[in-house]
Formats: sequence, C-alpha cells, structure tokens
Amino acid sequence: MKISLNWLKDYVKLDASIEEIARAVTFLGFEVEGVLNTGAPKLDHVVVGEILTRTKIPNLKKEISLCTVDVGPAGGVKTIVCGAHNCDPGRRVPVALPGAVLPGDFKITASKKYGHESQGMLCGPDEIGLPEGDGLLILNGLPALGTPINEVLPPGDTVFDIEITPNRPDCQSHLGIARELAAWFKLPLIYPQEKFRGDLAGAPDRADLLHAVRVDAPEDCQLYSAHIITGVKIGPSPDWMQRRLAAVGLRPVNNVVDVGNYVMLETGQPLHAFDARKLGGGQIVVRRAADGEKLTTLDGKERALTSRMLVIADAQRPVVIAGIMGGEASGVAADTADLVLECAIFNKQSVRRTSRQLGLASDSSYRYERGVDAHSALEAAWRAVDLILETAGGQVAGPVFKIGGEAPWQREIVVTRDYITEKLGFDIPAAAMRAAFESLELNVTREEPTEKRGPAWTVAIPSWRDDLDRPVDLVEEVLRLYGTEKIPAATVRAPGLVGDDAPAALFNRRVTDYLVGHDFHECVSYTLRPAKEVAAWIAPSPTDALALANPFVDEQSHLRASLVPGLLESLRINQSRGVAVSRLCETGRVFVDREGQVYECASVAFVIARSVGERAWLKREPADFYTAKHHVLALASSAGVDLSRSPIAAAPACDWQAGHSAALHDHGHAWAARFGLLNLAAVQALGVAGQVYAGEFAILPEKLPAAAARRRFSDFSLFPAALRDLALVVSETVPAAEVQRQLTQAARAAAGSAFAVESVGVFDVYRGQGLPEGKKSLAFALVFRSAARTLTDDEVNAALAKIQAAITAEGAITIRT
Amino acid sequence: MQDQLTALLAKAAAELPALKTRPEFEAAKARYVGPHGELTALMKQMGALSKEQKPAAGKLINETKTQLATQLDAALARIADAELAAQLGPALDPTLPSPDAGPGTRHPLTLVREEMCRILRKVGFTVADGPEVETEFYCFDALSTPADHPARDEKDTFYFPASARFGNVAQKVPGEKYLLRTHTSSVQIRTMLKGEPPIRIVSPGRVYRRDTSDATHSANFHQLECLYVDKGVTVRDLKALLDHIFVSLLGQDTKTRFRPHYFGYTEPSFEVDLGAAHLPKVKKPWIEIGGCGMVDPTVFEAVGYDPEVWTGYAFGMGLERLAMLLYGIDDIRYFYQNDLRFLKQFA
Repeated sequence: MKISLNWLKDYVKLDASIEEIARAVTFLGFEVEGVLNTGAPKLDHVVVGEILTRTKIPNLKKEISLCTVDVGPAGGVKTIVCGAHNCDPGRRVPVALPGAVLPGDFKITASKKYGHESQGMLCGPDEIGLPEGDGLLILNGLPALGTPINEVLPPGDTVFDIEITPNRPDCQSHLGIARELAAWFKLPLIYPQEKFRGDLAGAPDRADLLHAVRVDAPEDCQLYSAHIITGVKIGPSPDWMQRRLAAVGLRPVNNVVDVGNYVMLETGQPLHAFDARKLGGGQIVVRRAADGEKLTTLDGKERALTSRMLVIADAQRPVVIAGIMGGEASGVAADTADLVLECAIFNKQSVRRTSRQLGLASDSSYRYERGVDAHSALEAAWRAVDLILETAGGQVAGPVFKIGGEAPWQREIVVTRDYITEKLGFDIPAAAMRAAFESLELNVTREEPTEKRGPAWTVAIPSWRDDLDRPVDLVEEVLRLYGTEKIPAATVRAPGLVGDDAPAALFNRRVTDYLVGHDFHECVSYTLRPAKEVAAWIAPSPTDALALANPFVDEQSHLRASLVPGLLESLRINQSRGVAVSRLCETGRVFVDREGQVYECASVAFVIARSVGERAWLKREPADFYTAKHHVLALASSAGVDLSRSPIAAAPACDWQAGHSAALHDHGHAWAARFGLLNLAAVQALGVAGQVYAGEFAILPEKLPAAAARRRFSDFSLFPAALRDLALVVSETVPAAEVQRQLTQAARAAAGSAFAVESVGVFDVYRGQGLPEGKKSLAFALVFRSAARTLTDDEVNAALAKIQAAITAEGAITIRT
Repeated sequence: MQDQLTALLAKAAAELPALKTRPEFEAAKARYVGPHGELTALMKQMGALSKEQKPAAGKLINETKTQLATQLDAALARIADAELAAQLGPALDPTLPSPDAGPGTRHPLTLVREEMCRILRKVGFTVADGPEVETEFYCFDALSTPADHPARDEKDTFYFPASARFGNVAQKVPGEKYLLRTHTSSVQIRTMLKGEPPIRIVSPGRVYRRDTSDATHSANFHQLECLYVDKGVTVRDLKALLDHIFVSLLGQDTKTRFRPHYFGYTEPSFEVDLGAAHLPKVKKPWIEIGGCGMVDPTVFEAVGYDPEVWTGYAFGMGLERLAMLLYGIDDIRYFYQNDLRFLKQFA
C-alpha cells in the first residue's frame, strides 16, 4: 500500500527523517518496498532568477546561449551559459549558483563553457528533482528574485510503498500506519474530529429518495448503513485532496468519489456513493444475485452474476457488486444532486469468492477480503459526510439506515511479565512492556501483582486488532516495540543428536557420491512434464493418474514418472549450445502409476551419451549396455537391493531399445530398475544426437533401510585354488545366466562336501566358425578350493568329468572341445 | 697360461656387451664358465702344472673367474634393463590432456543443501524427509491455514483431481484433496505426528508453487526448514540458531537481523535479513533470506502436543535463493537447464 508522508503527518507529528521513518515501518513488521519522493528536495543555492538577455554563441553545432540573469539579493546579475531552447529574456527560472548540489550529486561551480565564463546553471524540472519537462522550468506568478527555490515550488511529498501483512488489515490505511508510527516514536495519535456524528436533529426527511434498506443475506453483510445527503454540487475536489490521492496512485474523479476514496485510504473503510435519484423504487436491498442477472460495472464491462454473489440492488435490479465495484448506471455523475452514502461490512469470503469468479478486484475488495473493522465503520461514514459537505456542499437528510452491527466489541487478554520473558528468552523491563501495550492503544485495564510471575496485566484489545487473541500474540507486540534488532546474541543449545538422517537423504547422498565419483555431472530437472513426453516415454497414452487438476502451463501438466526424460532434455540443451556432454545423473522423486494407484518413489538415474563423430587424440572403450548394468547394480546396492538375485526382463519398448535393454523389479514392486540403450528413434525424435545408454533405479522411500545390517566376517581358505576352464555350446536363445546357474549347480553337486566351488564365471562368448548356426559357445572359468588342504589333480579332474556328464545329460548343452 | 687367460678375458669383453637376449647370454655364459666352457678347460690344465707354478696359476684363474663373473653380471643386467625398456615404448608427452571425461560435479543446489545440513548437524539437527505429493491436512490444515486462505487457492497451489489415488501418501482426513506441497513445513507435521518431542530436524526438499516462471520464479524450487521442539525454547534461541547458520556459512563477522512479520503457523514471526557484506552482486546492506518464528500453539494442538508444555521454533528458506546469493547467480532457470558450463563452476 502507498502511504503519503504529508498525509500521515495529519495524524502524527513526525519529525524523523525519511530513513528513520522507513526503518521504523520496517521494524514494526511492514516491508518497505519503495520510497518515492515527489516534489523537489531541499536545495541550497538554488534561487529564483530572471533572464535579462540571451545571445546565441556562434559557430556551435548545437544551439547554446549566453544569458545574463538577475538573481536579485542572491548575487545580482550573473552570466550563465544555457543549452535550453526556452531561455528567453523576461522569464523567471530556477538558477543554481556555485555551491549548489543538485540531485544525483551534481555540484555546481563557476567554470568556462564554450569559451565563456558561466556562473551557475539555469535549471529544468528534472534537474531539481521534479518530473521531466520541456526545457527550463518556467516559474509563473513573478516570484521575487533571489527567493530560495523550495519556497516557490509546491511542497514535495514522500510516498512509502508498504507491504501490509494479511494479519494487519487495520494498517491498510494512513490512520493505521500512523498509529504504529506514533507508538514507535512515542508521539500522540491525532484522530480526525468528525463534526457530523449521526445527529439528524433539524435535518429534512427525504424518505422520498430512500425509504427502505433491507439486508436479505445477513451472513454476507454484517453491517449496512446508508446516509442521505441532498443538494450537492459535483465538481473537482480541492487541490490538497487531489494531490494526496495522486501521490498514492489514485486518479482524482470528482469531489464525491474522491471523498469516498480519501476516507477509505484514511480509515481503511470502503465507501460507496449512489446517485439517489437512480435508485429505483427508493430502496436498497442487500441480497444474493439471481442466476443470470447482469450488471455493467464502472469499468464499462458487463458482468454475469450468479446466486453466490452478493449485490446491492434497488427495487428492480442489482446496482453494485457488494464490496467490489459499483454499477455504471447508479454512480455519481456530473448532474448528481442527491446522494446515498453506503458504509457497510461485507463477509471476507463472500467478497473474495465473487472477486475471483469475476476476475475483478478493486481497492475496496482488497480491503474487504482482508477484513474491515465493523466497529469503526460509522466513524468513517461520518467523516465522509463531513468531507462531502465541505467539498461538495449540500446537507444531511433523514432517514438514516443502519442494519446489523449491534454486537458490541469486547476482548481482554491477561498476560504476565514472566510469560513474555519466558517466550523471549531475555529481559525487558515490566514498565517497557506495559508502555508498549499502551502506545498501541492496547489499554491495560488492570495491573495486579502475582506471587512469582511479575505483574499480570489485563489488556483491552481494540476492535481493529482482531489478530490479537492470546497471550502469545502480545509477546510479538512487546518485541516489535522493544525492537527485534535488540534480541541479544546467544550460543545454540544443542543437547546431542536425536536421530540419524532420514534413509532417503542417506540414499541420495550415497548414490550421488557414487555417480559423481564416476565422472557424472549431477543435474536438477523439473518434476512437472508435458503430457506428450509422458506419452512418449512412459505409456502409449498419457496416464491420467499423473495429471494435475490445474496445471499452470501445458508443458508442465504431469508428474514425472522417470528422471530419464529430464536428463535427455539436459543432453539436448548442452548439445544445442555446442557444449560437449556425455555423463549426466540426477536424484529425485518420481511417480509411478500401478493400476491407477500412484506411488511416490525415490529415484536415481544417469545417461551416457555416445556421440557420433566424437574426436579424441586417444581412443577409449566406449560405454555400453554392461557399463549401464554395472552402475545400476551399484546404485541398487546403495539401497540395500541386490539386483543379481532378481530375474531380468525386457524393458518397456517405448523408451528403451528392444534387445539392448533390461528391466528388473521385485515381487512387491518396492523397487524397479532399468538400464541399457534408450530407444534410438525416441532419442532422435527429442533432438538428441547419438546413442544414449541409461540406467535408473526407483524405490519406495519407506522401503529404504534405515541402516545397513552389520556384516559378519566369513573365513576364507589359504590353500591354493584349482582352476579349470569349460566351454559349453548352447542355443543362441539361452541366456548366459541360465547356463551359469546349471553349471554352478552341477559343479556343486560334483564337488559335494569334499571341497568348495569358489566361483563359476564367464570369460568368453563366441559365435561363428566352428559352431553350428544358431549356437554360441560360453567359456567358464571354474575355481575350486578346499578349506583344509591342497587339492589334487585327480580329484579335481574327476569332479570336472562329473560336471561335464551332468551338464550335457539333457542334451541342450554340449561340451566344446 | 697367462696369455690364454688374458685372451679369454679380452674375447669376453668384446663379445658379452653385444649380447641382446637371454638365450644368447645363456649360450655365451656356457661357452665361458659352463662345464664345457673355455675357463673350465683352462682350469683343467692346472693339473699339468708343477707344484711351484700352481699357486700363481690358481690365483690368475681365480682373478679371471671373478672378472668374467663381473662381465657376465653386467651383460645380464644390461639385457634385463633392455627387456624392461622394451615394455615401455617411447617416452610420452605428459602435457597432453587425459581423454577421460570428468571429474563429475555435484549440482550447486546439492552443494548448498549439503553444506546447510552439515552446519545444522553440528547443532543436533538431523535430516527428515517427507513426500512431495501431500494432502491438505499436512500442507495447510495442521499449519493453521484456514480453508479460505489465498495460499490454498487453486490459483496458487497445484492440486490433483478428486479421482487421484496415491498408494504411499495416506490421507489424514477422508476425502481430502491431494496436492503438491507448497512448503516443506508438511514434513514438520509428519515428523511431529510420528515422534515425540524433543525434536530437532532439518527438512530440505522440493516444493511447488503455481506461478509464472521467470528469472526469480520456478514451478518447482527447493526449501530447507528447521524445526526444534523442546521445553523452554525462546526467541533468543531462534536468533542464536540463525547466527550460527550464517556465521558458519559466511564467517565470524556475518550479521543477521529479525524483522517482525506474519506467518500463520508461527507467533511471533520474523523475516530474517542477512548482512550482505560477503555476498557477490548484492548492493544493499541487508538482504532477506528466510522466514522464522516460534511454533504457534495451534500447530502443537494439531499434532497432539500440549502447547502448555512444549515450545519450539521453525525456520525456512529457499535453497535456490541462498545459492543465488552465495554464488552470485542471477537467473533461477540456470539451475534447471544443467548447462555443463554452469554445473562445472561450483564443484
């Protein structure tokens, strides 16, 4: 909200500097978003002068004049070089003499310009801190020569742009801010003194203009009052009022409308004036609109109303959208003579809802939405009556209407000094606490000593401070006025750790450490993704289960189901900017849809781009499927999951390349892993160049282990191992893991309890010459070892023979010789 | 005999240095000192010498044998050296760059988050976690946000359709709406409901606001919040925590200040300003860094803690904003584009 300093000074005699006032507002709890000075600042050595002569300086590209200027008692006649077009003799203008400092720290000295001595400067409006104008500022009205310029210019103002927190609707007004500043600077608050205070004695009865006011929706309208003023003359409001309204950003309209705005900005109470003759049937009905009713508001737009919206209607039709905006037809016009002045309290929620539905907000609706003090409303109406009579003439007439607003306000809070001290953690003298209350008009109606807790104060809460309801609310009031900058320093009380970091945090840290240690660059991508990406990468049609009800933009309409698309987007951005990029990774939440139930999972993913035509002075083995597999296994183990124990299946074909990718998940769907080559066509469609290998692992966060189980040492043999190689020929379609499983089983059976099969590992895969079509050879290295002795060739060979016999027994596997 | 021995040594001196391989060496060695070697043959001649000649001849032979052994050792050492040298290939240019990618880098948001968590861990805060999809109860109701509060509006908060089902985010109130959390304060509620005080947690995480994306706004961003619940927690304790955080982050002479403010779930509430002396690109003496306050009794009531017994404070801040201030980054979108030229600057 914009607050004018000149205006504030009506209510509190501030003599502090602008900086001190801004600081006070800040530490009272309102952010000062800007300070704007209107008018000229205080300027020394800038005086009124009259141009006596003007001579054009010859042979210059620009038109520059040499003037003689009379500044009277401030120094007589000066010679000044001037580049303005309007430095004509006879004109009186501001003259900055040597020693003057103009805005922008521009120091004026006597100097030579264009070969001529210049003893000062003739000033345009912008040069003395006024809004920019055309050429020199011409001072009309023959001000005396040599007069300091500030005495001639209209007084300036300072406007503070202040953010009012939602708990302080009472500060949506100059009086509210003045009350706070009066408390801060310990100055009295001067209220406007209404002359009219509801007394209708001797006033004419004009029931012909308004004979009935009815509130049909009391739940939406707590108070409705209407005053009649007859015989006004519509015209411009006085200069002082226009200046104040303009200073805080309101356009002056006419005296009656301006008074309404002025009183609203003064007190926070919105007001509305009707042209009484335009109220059909001489009555006002506060009611819900009927569905389908229409009203053209002051901004010229026709508004379709619904039965949830509160309106002010005359006998026939709505004339105002309650608390938001008046109708075009019933407003005050140049020929208006008789007024009905509305001063009402409307329900916050009702105003907010209607304002939202219509997309229509106003200074009035803004205040009603935050709350207006019903118990100060009538004073505002009286104040407006005063100002209308003062600026537009006319007289108050009867009858006056007041519906609702009967419930009296009373609230008291009892608080002790020790309670406040305990909450603060440091001492403030009791007298300062009490003084803080009273400076804010939180009157202490009773002070009683307590046995152990210092004085107990009964504090009367004024009606405009609905935010104060509990003793703890008063702690803040004391601290605000004491000064939050004076909170004493202390050391942190830290009595030991209460637990360990959450498993999800530990998991993120572990996997990020792992991937960064493997040369990946960690990325952060948006969670919300476009529907078409979800369709392309997750499911053939966008899954509704991941859709937001109210996306802000189409590109961010769905939850991400995978981190991979975000990483691809980062690949694309880097490639498009000509930045060499290969390894990216990310951790974060993904959302997995399983039969209509969405699960939020902790996830980690990486991509490795193999770019085509990549140049390097030394070639390296490129990453491949097994690189991705290696990393995914390691990432899963960070979550306590051993992927090697789970069966491998094909990854979904829409995002992964068939035959070059794999997927695993556990039976209960607590986790899932995918890795391999991303679908070449899909990657290409995204505009990412080259092949991209990727891997991802996702797990329900609640399934992450809190701490890894303590491992137990298992003893190992110090006797030498016996090594044997065995090449097996199998059909192309048989997975190596299956052959390995059978071989391991056969080896264990052959070794029996005599010795151990330490490992069975593939070391060669061969296809082609020497093998039948459709067959491949898998060569395994078998390692046998005994815990008790060195194995003999004979016993190992005997075992190998048994293994060969067993593995070939079913005929699907043959020994390659 | 002396002449023969001298000739033998001379021959060896000529031949042995030319040997290239171990087999050549072994053959040569056999020719000189093997059972059928020339020195052995000369030694056999000793038998034919007189008793007087024998000591001198023996001495000569021994000397020759020693010299031959030295020559052979030298030849073998030279061959061994040559073999190792052959494994190496030519000397390389150490100024050429490694073709390997890397090193990897942590995202600046991770760096800032982890640094904050380390600083807070020193004073007993552990990381708490909660879901990004939340319900109205955890995000708003329990934090004293009234049903008609603008923050809950569909204009500002992302909601899910009434039909949405989340398998691992349970509703507290039957039928309440699912939404994307607008702050990490929901983690405070979950933590308090799950455990008993005293509680001392930091909850970093991703939050969502329905807002236009520009240089300072993003549809999702990250927050970090601290919550401390114990007996006798005061405003002064809260100030001490903020001082600890920013002194740890920026050095001993770092200042913070509180400005009174309003949040629905703390009373009193403050905005926290950071003295900007150490921050790049900040021209003002103070810059707003976060919000904090003493936990409002209504929040304790919502989670079933007795507000007469328990007190606490909460502090929250935006991680992007902190990272932007610390590093002098002026556009929030850089965090989400992951341009490597950006990412590599902070690790």
